Amino acid sequence: MIENYFPILIVFLVAAGFVFVSLILTHLVGPRIQNPVKMMPYESGVDQVGETRIRFSIRFFLIALLFIIFDIEIIFLYPWAVVFNDFLSMGAFIFIEMVVFLVILAFGYVYAWKNGALEWE
Amino acid sequence: MNNLQSLSYYWPELLLVTTILAAVVYDLLTKPSESQRVGLLVFAGLVLTLFANWFTSAERNITLFLDSLALDPFAQFFKTIIIFSTLFVILISRKSNELRIYRTGEYYTLIAIMVFGMFLMVSAIDLIMVYLSIEVVSISSFILAGYLKQDQRSNESSLKYVIYGAFSSGLMLFGLSILFGLTGTTKFFEIQNVISGLDTSSHFALIIASVFILAGFGYKISAVPFHFWTPDVYEGAPTPVTAYLSVAPKAAGFALLIRFFHVLFTDAGLFLESENGIPTIPWPQVLAGISVATMTLGNLVAIQQSSVKRMLAYSSIAHAGYMLMAMPILSGNGVFAIMIYLVMYLFMNLGAFFVVIIVKNKTGGETFEDFRGLGWEMPLVGIVMALFMFSLTGIPPTAGFIGKFYIFAAVIKAGPSFYWLVFAGAVNSVISLYYYMRVVKVMFLEGESKEEHIFPSILESALIIILAAPTLFLGVYWAPIAEWITNSLRFFHQGI
Amino acid sequence: MDQLHNYLLIASVLFSLGLFAVITRRNAVAVLMGVELILNSANLNFLAFSRFGGMNFNGHIFALFVIIMAAAEAAVALAIIINLYNNYQSINVDEAGQLKR
Repeated sequence: MIENYFPILIVFLVAAGFVFVSLILTHLVGPRIQNPVKMMPYESGVDQVGETRIRFSIRFFLIALLFIIFDIEIIFLYPWAVVFNDFLSMGAFIFIEMVVFLVILAFGYVYAWKNGALEWE
Repeated sequence: MNNLQSLSYYWPELLLVTTILAAVVYDLLTKPSESQRVGLLVFAGLVLTLFANWFTSAERNITLFLDSLALDPFAQFFKTIIIFSTLFVILISRKSNELRIYRTGEYYTLIAIMVFGMFLMVSAIDLIMVYLSIEVVSISSFILAGYLKQDQRSNESSLKYVIYGAFSSGLMLFGLSILFGLTGTTKFFEIQNVISGLDTSSHFALIIASVFILAGFGYKISAVPFHFWTPDVYEGAPTPVTAYLSVAPKAAGFALLIRFFHVLFTDAGLFLESENGIPTIPWPQVLAGISVATMTLGNLVAIQQSSVKRMLAYSSIAHAGYMLMAMPILSGNGVFAIMIYLVMYLFMNLGAFFVVIIVKNKTGGETFEDFRGLGWEMPLVGIVMALFMFSLTGIPPTAGFIGKFYIFAAVIKAGPSFYWLVFAGAVNSVISLYYYMRVVKVMFLEGESKEEHIFPSILESALIIILAAPTLFLGVYWAPIAEWITNSLRFFHQGI
Repeated sequence: MDQLHNYLLIASVLFSLGLFAVITRRNAVAVLMGVELILNSANLNFLAFSRFGGMNFNGHIFALFVIIMAAAEAAVALAIIINLYNNYQSINVDEAGQLKR
């Protein structure tokens, strides 16, 4: 069965080989002329102005964090969806169970929203 | 029983979840300066949960949610201890100066979430529930330890806590995975059946799994050599949080440890000995060794401390060691001794930390220098602290003596093979006398007698008196507690 | 090739790499990466045992819960590291050393 995956291995080797060969070749064959102008960071032709390090805004982290948490909530929905039909014969309990779970997480969402975690983006 | 039927037995925890959600909403509605009101809401919710817990009686052991949680008097005992310690900590947090400049709505919500996690810990009889409950408690306490965002020591303590805690949980999870692989199931009682029938080829895997799982449990109760996070976290965290961490998660961790060992490795209290001439892991000796190491390290390092808070952290490590002394004997005596020690330990340890909070409110520091002359300046606090120090040492007629007495009695009754353990425990108690009496000496024998006496506020005074009274009273008349614990253990050895 | 001990071997290698990262690295985020490696090695263990033990679904469910707890733990740990950075201006774990031994 693993023989079916041989073409993928060959594609991988070709891609990696291409990258390595071109890097090594340019390193060996290219000319070496040092020039201070060549060493400066590139900024579309104009001179540099200001600091290169920006102040990292905390909002990026908050948005990523909220995404992870709600993505995980969705992960929990997948197994539930698979067994939903089998348990539906026992009544609406399985549906209410998951609704309660989502409501608890919705409380957290409203908390984050009202505390300004979703602002200025 | 399945999910729908279990819900009717689960309503204390449902009340607790409703309290958490109500606290989240109430936190949104209050202004930052009034955020202490969330604490009152959580307090009321916890009192309701306490009463609900008492009314949910079980006439036999019940398992809920398809054999993942156990509802038995043993779990109810620990839930009561946890709620009592939480109620005291919520009250003292209102008066602590460290938290005054922060919004405390989330603080109280996190404490309520920790209580829920600990409820799950003491009832867990499934490996998944063990892991989930330990993680819920750990993650909430990571945040609580780092709650003072502008204080560098608090940041450092939460960083160390998160690294050690996540790492230990990972180790424990690896052990759980090997145990699952050996037995093919995650439920305690089925694992017990499979383990007693395993042959020698899986012996090594069982050792590895047990060592790793013990790493996770040892981290929770600060046993040596998994204790390295305890002094730094206890010192850097806000003092109410330290008081809480030293009592409630430790009690829940012991409940989990007792249940785990009792169901998996013992047969109604006696550790499984060798079968077919092949020795199993010598659990009594291993646990006794860990206990001696924990006691000794806790006591020896506490002597060198110059900060009272850090000394109390090492002393709580030593007390975990004393409780572990009774772990090799998991029959009725040993578990009874651990449970009564936990009740006494709750009062004396919370009391000692509350006095540290009062002193910190007054002088801003927590070293022995700040305790100098406290007995003359604040006589109520001085006398009460002296009482707590006597009780922590184990001098009669205080509650600490009763706890130690039961532990020593349980170990002695187990036979001559454990006499060395009792000897080590006695030597360690004598060593601990030094640093506990150092506090009393600094409070009363240094500093001059003052004319005017300062008393802490009404709430603080009431709290330390409420904690000091049982410390003295239970040392003399402890029969109601003993009866309550015997009642809680009546179904413990039966299994499901 | 498709046998249980190969999967367990890979999981053990991952565990060792994660252990090395937690013990050795000075960058707090790198330590966190090591912890994630350890958790994922346990996940591999669960799934391997579940598959070769007759497709026992307990292992799959446990692995799902572990993924979720690992993400929640990483979120909290990163928030603590950000808090640390605000106070110390560095995420070197050796720099945070105010609490004495």
